Amino acid sequence: MMKKFREVILLLLLLSFVPHAEGTRYSLPGKPALTRCRSPEKETFTCWWEPGSDGGLPTTYALYYRKENSETVYECPDYHTAGKNSCFFNKNDTSIWVNYNITVVASNALGSTFSDPVDIDVVYIVKPNPPEKVAVTVMEDKGWPFLRVSWEPPHKADTRSGWITLIYELRVKLEGENEWEMHLAGQQKMFNIFSLRSGGRYLVQVRCKPDHGFWSEWSSASHIKVPDYFHRERSVWILITVFFAFIFLIVSWCIHINSHSLKHCILPPVPGPKIRGFDKQLLKNGKSEDIFSALVVSDFPPTSSSNYEDLLVEYLEVYIPEEQELILEESKDLHDGCLKPKGSTFDSDSGRGSCDSHTLLMDKCGEAKDDGRQTDQDGSQTGSEAQRQQAAWEQEALTYAHEDMISPDMSSGRVKTWPSVFSPLPQYSLSPLSQPSSLETAKQHCLSDSLFPPSSLSSYLTQPGQSTKEYVEVHTVNEEDMVLLHPVPVGHSHGKGCLQTHQGEDYSKVNGVDKNNVLLLQREVMEEQVDMCPCENKDANGATESYCTSSAQKSIPCIHTALPVQEEKAVNGYVDTATMFPLPIH
Amino acid sequence: MTLFFIQRSVWALLLWPSLLTVSMPLDCKEEQGSLSGCTSISQEKLLDRVIHHAELIYRVSEESCSLFEEMFLPFPLQLQSSQAGYACITKALPMPSSKSEIQQISDKWLLHSVLMLVQSWIEPLVYLQTTMDRYDHAPDMLLNKTKWVSDKLISLEQGVVVLIKKMLDEGMLATTYSEQGLFQSDVQPEMLESVMRDYTLLSCFKKDAHKMETFLKLLKCRQTDKYNCP
Repeated sequence: MMKKFREVILLLLLLSFVPHAEGTRYSLPGKPALTRCRSPEKETFTCWWEPGSDGGLPTTYALYYRKENSETVYECPDYHTAGKNSCFFNKNDTSIWVNYNITVVASNALGSTFSDPVDIDVVYIVKPNPPEKVAVTVMEDKGWPFLRVSWEPPHKADTRSGWITLIYELRVKLEGENEWEMHLAGQQKMFNIFSLRSGGRYLVQVRCKPDHGFWSEWSSASHIKVPDYFHRERSVWILITVFFAFIFLIVSWCIHINSHSLKHCILPPVPGPKIRGFDKQLLKNGKSEDIFSALVVSDFPPTSSSNYEDLLVEYLEVYIPEEQELILEESKDLHDGCLKPKGSTFDSDSGRGSCDSHTLLMDKCGEAKDDGRQTDQDGSQTGSEAQRQQAAWEQEALTYAHEDMISPDMSSGRVKTWPSVFSPLPQYSLSPLSQPSSLETAKQHCLSDSLFPPSSLSSYLTQPGQSTKEYVEVHTVNEEDMVLLHPVPVGHSHGKGCLQTHQGEDYSKVNGVDKNNVLLLQREVMEEQVDMCPCENKDANGATESYCTSSAQKSIPCIHTALPVQEEKAVNGYVDTATMFPLPIH
Repeated sequence: MTLFFIQRSVWALLLWPSLLTVSMPLDCKEEQGSLSGCTSISQEKLLDRVIHHAELIYRVSEESCSLFEEMFLPFPLQLQSSQAGYACITKALPMPSSKSEIQQISDKWLLHSVLMLVQSWIEPLVYLQTTMDRYDHAPDMLLNKTKWVSDKLISLEQGVVVLIKKMLDEGMLATTYSEQGLFQSDVQPEMLESVMRDYTLLSCFKKDAHKMETFLKLLKCRQTDKYNCP
């Protein structure tokens, strides 16, 4: 009795000392703790615990659980499947309808320690296994590669029936880098990754999660190497190069096309000599004689100012047919534009087109056609004018070596015009001496020393001061361009006056030669100059030569046109100047 | 005697803190995955899970039925199958069949109907498993599906029981598996007959699974919005 009482007291003492026993080696086991419970597929689950200190004595652990609202305590059915310190609940023991209340008890020789209980809802502790069969391949999209990652859900998770719905996530990184690129893939089991570095090595991992639950672990890394698509980038450079080369070609072609205008802009050309009517070929040929002779043209240098005016003013070329020769009269003004002196405008620059038409000429010249007398006068005036011209041409004709410069038959109507105006003046005139072959002896009673070219007939020239009243008749012109004259008996013509105009023959008396080598013919004055004749008669005596002209009356200077006569047309005493006038052509 | 009693009481004294902790209910926290969750699952969540369960069962049963049709039924017989050569086993059960009837039924009866359906189908499906194993060319997929369905049906039954308990505060016993139902037959039927019977079974089950799903969804509708539901 006393022994047992002593045991009890000892036990009580032990009881009191147990909480204060710190230094003792043996103790109750430490409190274990449930670390986690996980279900991989919502059909089974496993719980793990962490043991506390063992208290120096061998300790055993037990897991007890209770289902919701039931007092029945069950023990863990399986301690081994899931490893150490774990408890595995299989399908039959797992219910998604109720919560589990789980406690772990650690017990050793001295006692047991209970862990804190934990309530488990199986649906919320689902953590699936990582996705399986992760496959990464390189695919091409129009030359640009991309990665295609495909996987399968963990085989335990029943996604096919819809028991679990999983969403996936993958991550990519380059080898050697630290940063992962995350991509959320949703419920699909395939994913494309773009914008890769060419030639890079990549690591890919996938994980999954149910709609209520935990993320799974990352799958094992899949390695993939992206092939070099450097050539693709190079082709871009090639394109750029070709493009710029093309532009360069276009620009250079444009410059080449416009090179002349550019040259003109940058280096303006030096203007060369421009002489109107001058043949540049002569310069190139190099013969100085030809050049100089070419420089001397009929209308260069201009001999009279009238030439300039002719050039400036528009004038007409009149073509007058034969029946209209009489009708056509020139206008009062010589420079009216009806007539056109010959030879002045062979220049291509001359503007003679406006007056080219025949009708135009007719209209223009129509007003002045009535008065015959006037035309006579005018004609004579123009005749003298023309004579001057004629003389000038004759001079030229002599100096010219080339005969073909002068052609009598002018294509233009110029040749024909103005001599026909003077047709009322029945006169013959000498043809130019430059055509000795075609010349004919023109019976002319007009005496003029200036008729003769000064060079050849100088011997026959009478002094200009002399006012001889002798008459000379042209006999012939020899080959040397000499006009042979023979005197005409004075008496013949006396009665008829100074300048008698026979019906058949026309004579003109040369009054003198002016300084320009122009013949000044004396006009035939009908009655008035009868008085003069006796003067001549007196002269005929030979005693004195008296100036008839100066004494009684002034002899009206006769201005006649010296008309060259050609044999063909001189038949009817009517001069057709169309064929008669040789004009030097350039 | 007293000494022994004192020892036991001492042990009890040592252990009393633990006992208290075990029996004390913890605060309910809705944290996902936390170990210190609620002691009981809420009613809405439970109902959702049950509905989800029923949906899955219906879907898989539909797949199995069509698979079975393709595999085993010759064409002329497909037409005949609809002519009720074999009646559904659950025809005798008092089920609301029309919409008007369903409107009049209470929640309690809805739940009970569902339970009845579930419980009546557990055994035939087990039977189906055994018969289908006898087939020569039954594909694995078909067998897996039917197995899956039967397993899930048992689970569904448990869920409905819990739901009834929660909603109606009625305690019920789950069926035991040892019961032998109506399908005990020793005689091995002919192949064609067997096929026909199995096919009838599957199609009837498919219809009933759809019924279960409909009732449960209706129940949910009534829980959330009482006035718009049929």
